[in-house]
Amino acid sequence: MPPPDLLSSQGLRLDGRRPNELRRIRCKLGVFTQPDGSAYLEQGNTKVLAAVYGPHQAAKSKSSVEGVVVNCQYSMATFSTGERKNRPRGDRKSQEMSLHLRQALTAAIKTELYPRSQIDIYIEVLQADGGAYCASVNAATLALVDAGVPLRAYACACSASMAWRGAQPEPLLDVGHVEEAAGGVVLTVASLPSTGSIALLELSHRLHSDYFEMVLSRAMQGCKDIEIVLDKAVREHLAEGWTKQDVVTI
Amino acid sequence: MAGLLLSSTEKMYILHGVQDDYRSDGRSNIDYRPMELETDVVSHASGSARLRLANTDILVGVKTEIDEPKPNNPGLGKIEFFVDCSANATPEFEGRGGEQLANMISNLMQRAYHSSQAFDLKQLCILEGKQCWKLYVDILILECGGNLCDAVSLAVKAALFNTRIPFVKAALMDGGSVDFQLSDDPYDCKLLEVGNAPLLVTLCKIGNKCVVDPSAEEESCSVISLIVGITGNPKYYSKESKASLNFECKCSTIGMNGPGSVAPETFKAAITQGIIAAKCLDEALGRTLLRERQECGSYKKNSYGFLK
Amino acid sequence: MWTTKTFLTKTKRGNVLKIVREHYLRDDLLCGSAACNFCPHKDDELVLEANPESLCGLFDSNHYLILDTNVVLHQIDVIEEDALKNVIILQTVLEEVKHQNTAIFQRLLEVIGNKKRKFFSFVNEHHKDTYVERNPGEKQNDRNDRAIRKAASWYASHLSIKNIDGQFPQIVLLTDDEKNRQLAHDEGILTCTVSDYIKNVNGYPGLSDKLSKNVIPESCSKDALYPAHLTPTQIHAGIRNGKLHQGTFHASRDNYLEGNATISGCEKSILLQGHIGINRAIDGDIVAIEILPQEEWSKPSDIVLEDKTEDPGDFLEEESQLLTISKADDDITPTGKVVGIIRRKWRQYCGILLPSKFPGATRHLFTPAEKRIPRVRIETRQSDILASQRILVALDSWPRNSRYPLGHFVRSLGPIGDKDAENEVILLEHDVPHARFSEAVLACLPPDNWTIPEEELARRVDLRATCVCSVDPPGCTDIDDALHARRAAAGYEVGVHIADVTHFVRPHSALDREAAARATTVYLVDKRIDMVPELLSSNLCSLRGGEERLAFSCIWILDENAHVLSTKFHKSVIKSRAAMTYEEAQMAIDETSRNDEIATSLRLLNKLAKKLKQRRLDNGALLLASPEIRFQVDSETHEPLDVQAKRIVDTNSMVEEFMLLANVSVAERIAADYPQSALLRRHPAPPPAHFNAFLKAASRQGFELDVSTNKSFSKSLNEAVIPERPFFNTLLRIMATRCMQQAVYFSSGSKTQEEFYHYGLACPIYTHFTSPIRRYADVVVHRLLAGSVGADATHAALLDTRAAQALCDNLNYRHRHAQLAARASVALNTHILFKNREEVESAVVLAVKRNALQVLIPKYGLEGPLYLPSDKFTYNEEENVQICNDIVFKTFDELTVRLTLDSSNLQHRKLVFQLVTPFIPGVSYVQQTKDDQMEVENVEIKTDEKKRKDLPETKNKKKKKSKT
Repeated sequence: MPPPDLLSSQGLRLDGRRPNELRRIRCKLGVFTQPDGSAYLEQGNTKVLAAVYGPHQAAKSKSSVEGVVVNCQYSMATFSTGERKNRPRGDRKSQEMSLHLRQALTAAIKTELYPRSQIDIYIEVLQADGGAYCASVNAATLALVDAGVPLRAYACACSASMAWRGAQPEPLLDVGHVEEAAGGVVLTVASLPSTGSIALLELSHRLHSDYFEMVLSRAMQGCKDIEIVLDKAVREHLAEGWTKQDVVTI
Repeated sequence: MAGLLLSSTEKMYILHGVQDDYRSDGRSNIDYRPMELETDVVSHASGSARLRLANTDILVGVKTEIDEPKPNNPGLGKIEFFVDCSANATPEFEGRGGEQLANMISNLMQRAYHSSQAFDLKQLCILEGKQCWKLYVDILILECGGNLCDAVSLAVKAALFNTRIPFVKAALMDGGSVDFQLSDDPYDCKLLEVGNAPLLVTLCKIGNKCVVDPSAEEESCSVISLIVGITGNPKYYSKESKASLNFECKCSTIGMNGPGSVAPETFKAAITQGIIAAKCLDEALGRTLLRERQECGSYKKNSYGFLK
Repeated sequence: MWTTKTFLTKTKRGNVLKIVREHYLRDDLLCGSAACNFCPHKDDELVLEANPESLCGLFDSNHYLILDTNVVLHQIDVIEEDALKNVIILQTVLEEVKHQNTAIFQRLLEVIGNKKRKFFSFVNEHHKDTYVERNPGEKQNDRNDRAIRKAASWYASHLSIKNIDGQFPQIVLLTDDEKNRQLAHDEGILTCTVSDYIKNVNGYPGLSDKLSKNVIPESCSKDALYPAHLTPTQIHAGIRNGKLHQGTFHASRDNYLEGNATISGCEKSILLQGHIGINRAIDGDIVAIEILPQEEWSKPSDIVLEDKTEDPGDFLEEESQLLTISKADDDITPTGKVVGIIRRKWRQYCGILLPSKFPGATRHLFTPAEKRIPRVRIETRQSDILASQRILVALDSWPRNSRYPLGHFVRSLGPIGDKDAENEVILLEHDVPHARFSEAVLACLPPDNWTIPEEELARRVDLRATCVCSVDPPGCTDIDDALHARRAAAGYEVGVHIADVTHFVRPHSALDREAAARATTVYLVDKRIDMVPELLSSNLCSLRGGEERLAFSCIWILDENAHVLSTKFHKSVIKSRAAMTYEEAQMAIDETSRNDEIATSLRLLNKLAKKLKQRRLDNGALLLASPEIRFQVDSETHEPLDVQAKRIVDTNSMVEEFMLLANVSVAERIAADYPQSALLRRHPAPPPAHFNAFLKAASRQGFELDVSTNKSFSKSLNEAVIPERPFFNTLLRIMATRCMQQAVYFSSGSKTQEEFYHYGLACPIYTHFTSPIRRYADVVVHRLLAGSVGADATHAALLDTRAAQALCDNLNYRHRHAQLAARASVALNTHILFKNREEVESAVVLAVKRNALQVLIPKYGLEGPLYLPSDKFTYNEEENVQICNDIVFKTFDELTVRLTLDSSNLQHRKLVFQLVTPFIPGVSYVQQTKDDQMEVENVEIKTDEKKRKDLPETKNKKKKKSKT
């Protein structure tokens, strides 16, 4: 039987959330001065920094006349995981993450505006407690906004899993590390909530097709909720007016 | 640094300022820029600190692992430094771009902490010859605004000050394997003695004089810089002021960086200047850390991190 | 609100990790009380009554109870009584209970789930006002106690909101922890000990009997009889430095002052002797042992020692007389003493109350049915009633100053000797879940008058016009298979129709979970413990004659020689023409004048079945035998009247062949469609070593059997016939059966294709499909097949290899215990049958042991030891024979024996076998001088029954017994 313990009989998850609740999201735009755009985002105990450089002239080999080249690098601090990581990046998983980030963010950026240019997006995961990819996409979106890169829509990512409450299947939103480790399925969706389209979808483990719809719609709902949070953060940031990077040094 | 282009007049302006002990941002040659420091920002590391010195942003996480001591030093623990230059700082660091700089800094730190008078590895011993703690000091450079070494050393000392090592009871089993028991109380931890831990002071030779804490602009005016590692004074790091009045700071490492050369006299003067700067820095750091520990006496605190 | 929990853990690699978990605190959690004016409850969320009646004399005003963890852990028997209502179970308590004892946790959940009990579980750990953070230096237990007190005072103040003083329920905290009570008192919380509370409950006599007498065992140092146990830390340290050893304690069956402990990594088990040496360890406990210096080592005493009948009070008798220790002996084994208990493995024990010398006394001794368990001191005021009953007792503690462990009465099972009570004992001792189906399970059932809905008819193949019939043992009410056969365009069409249980038992329903936990229907001689409720097992699923039923059909087209040309599976609706017994079916076939549809169909089936069987045997399937007996049970009293070996007719094997064919066909299909998670059944080939004794015995009879493959084995078994001894071949097969391994369920993902082989049936793949009413394995197979043919949706758990394997483990465990329980029931009925009766019967020797012959009475299928006095007989190990003068006993010898029942011990009645012929003076039974000439030692039959190897499918296809 699937692990029944993810939901208590009172319908609460291990950390006390209800199935349709996101983890606490806190974020801030413009945390650094040197990058063109930067953002910090916390989703529960998962903490991510994102920096955006560009658009700037593309390296010759990468240059494209079609549109801007989006270059992503996903890196995890060696102390970010429970057991220490030996390398911050370059391993298989980080490379895959970089590709997935690029996939999701390219869909959000109006690439056609900057042919022969390049945008660098760097993600640094400071603490990983499940859903690092989702937090990275969300942070990168904020950093892109901070950098003033024109976007089609916010790119938001959210994960969802499945649990049983009695005999009823119940999708869980925004899966934490404990729930991930319990071995259940994790469906990760990066979407552009305002257009309703999916930019990237990834499924780990097996999920019965009967439940796919249900889990997906919960994840999509999560993306919409995240969009609201991000949008609020952006508006607050802009309302603050001048930010660090606007102060010219020397 | 990336994208920093200074004209020769600008360079001259900086040089003259240094000559007159009055730098372009109003500091004297032994003044540091203001810093922001926060400890315990990475909740699942054993200790952590974030230091922001002007635009230089350093995050240090300390992780502990249980390891076997080296056969020639059965009673000592281990400490290892790892520096990662995040591409967030500059696109040049992407991929393996920052590796050279990272290695330079981690080697420097390893050397500075090598002496027993700089950091006592005995406190990391669990069972002599069998088990010890290994500290991984992971340094993440998030933004470069000059004077990396000093900032790194400060952040490392703060992170080590913040590090809590769980109490374990270890016993030797028959067959030579070691079994250890962990207390179930998360408060049952010991703090490290880090008072002696060295701070690095970079002395940047501009013209004939040296300045501490060079800004990125000043760094580009200098052809050579001198890095001295000075051990700290434990009295600044504990509340009960032990009578160690005649405590002397010791120089645990000296390094040079850059293509130029230095006259021996300048060298001597620079070291003296470095020791003075290190003493001030050490005292300020110790006071700050103690104050922070007192203010959030409880185990948990609300960390501001990057949200400030 | 948001906070984090931090803790440290050790990883497998021996590292220490700091783990930080999020912990959300909420403000939307309800208190569940009808007296609350604050929380936005919906009607069905009000669990606690507004005006709970106070039962306890100590508290006048009405109140809710809050229990602490230890109260739940120790007093679960009291909690299960209906007396306590309106109880708040805090999450803190729930989680601790779950952590410490899953069995009690399940029982607690059951109570909480029962709406009538009005137990409310409050999520205090996630409530913003009741969450408490652990303080530096505070122990986890202290923190939890603080959390409980915090929740108690929160409830008190929460209920007072917008309520008039005195008109809302108070909160009473029950805890046995004195410090906690004191702190609670200081904080203004009403509190009291459990025993004070329960003893003052009015209107529920007997409730206080169930109170657990839990005292901290090591604290009673006054008048201590036993040395104190070491603390867990001392034990841990001792084990680490090699002074102590961890082992499992096994008490001796024969000598209550002796036992041994097996230590992993230690070849010899450690002998433990005497009260002090055993030091309050109870069979099964995990103990810490100190091995004595070699000069104090001893040898196992060979005397039988039972605890004296009288109640000696709390002192330990002189042991020197009881234990004969001779030091200079070769049999000296490592000896040790128990110095601490690492983990108690106590369960509830069945047994009887010892008659007390003093009328009206409340302290009594309880003797468990299991001989390895010491007597238990319990307190009861109902001893007059309980004295003649079999009762269930739970152990609580064993303080140093008590000779016996302390326990409490759980419930009465019924009068001693009463069939129901004895059956209950069998079920409990074999861990057979047999409680009545819970409300939640019954709620999953369709209505009694359920009929097949139209849309279901439309979805299924309509086979109502087909001449389907079922053939079963007489009196069978759970008919799960039916058959049909008719000529088809190309060859014959044969259909096997299996009751469609999965239509009613939906995945993840309470019914499904209960069935999965039970795993099988258990058949006792006079009782059936259903896997699914009776409405399904005997009615809606049972393919009764003349009724329209849902079925899962497997239809083949077979050619003249019974080769399968095509197979199809579909769900269908059938209407069985007749539910016949084997005998009736046989008659229909034999009666040549009958030419109706049923008879022709049966003849066709019979013809094809014979061909199938022949082909199977040619492939190397083994025809094994086991002495199966069938009781004739009195329809009124359920007393067994007579016993006889089972009769086998052609139609038995006819049904069996088609069931086998269906199982194999289904197995192939699901293994192909679910390579990772198909539920299959395998029967590993027995290791050659198992055959050694058997082959030796057979060769002395002049037969060299070839056991290299099942095919050669089968062939040589067929040839081993002694014409003048017709039973000899059967006997050989019975013994061959004992050499076999147990067939087991497994998940296809967990084994390689080669390992799927079923040795007994000689087929490469096998599963169980044909009895979903009584086996859960078949239910799963039905679901797999339904998914495979598109008749039903699959679900996630069905496709999970790990879940499938876990399921198989439980199925195998339950099946084994169901078999053991069935045998125990046979033994019980045999004993009842032989009450006041003695018989002289012919017997054969199955095995020769060091001190006995294992004999079988073919007439009854009974088996037991015939003890041989060692002064008359010498045992030749080489030849495996017992010799007395010129008489030599060897395997397969025929004798006559006398059978009687020894009822001297009420709990351990046993059949006694005595030798009659050949006559050996001083050994054989002689009518007149039976008692003083012989000393017969006995061992219960039950244990030997247990040793029997399970039978593979060929023989044991259908073992249904009727409940008339």
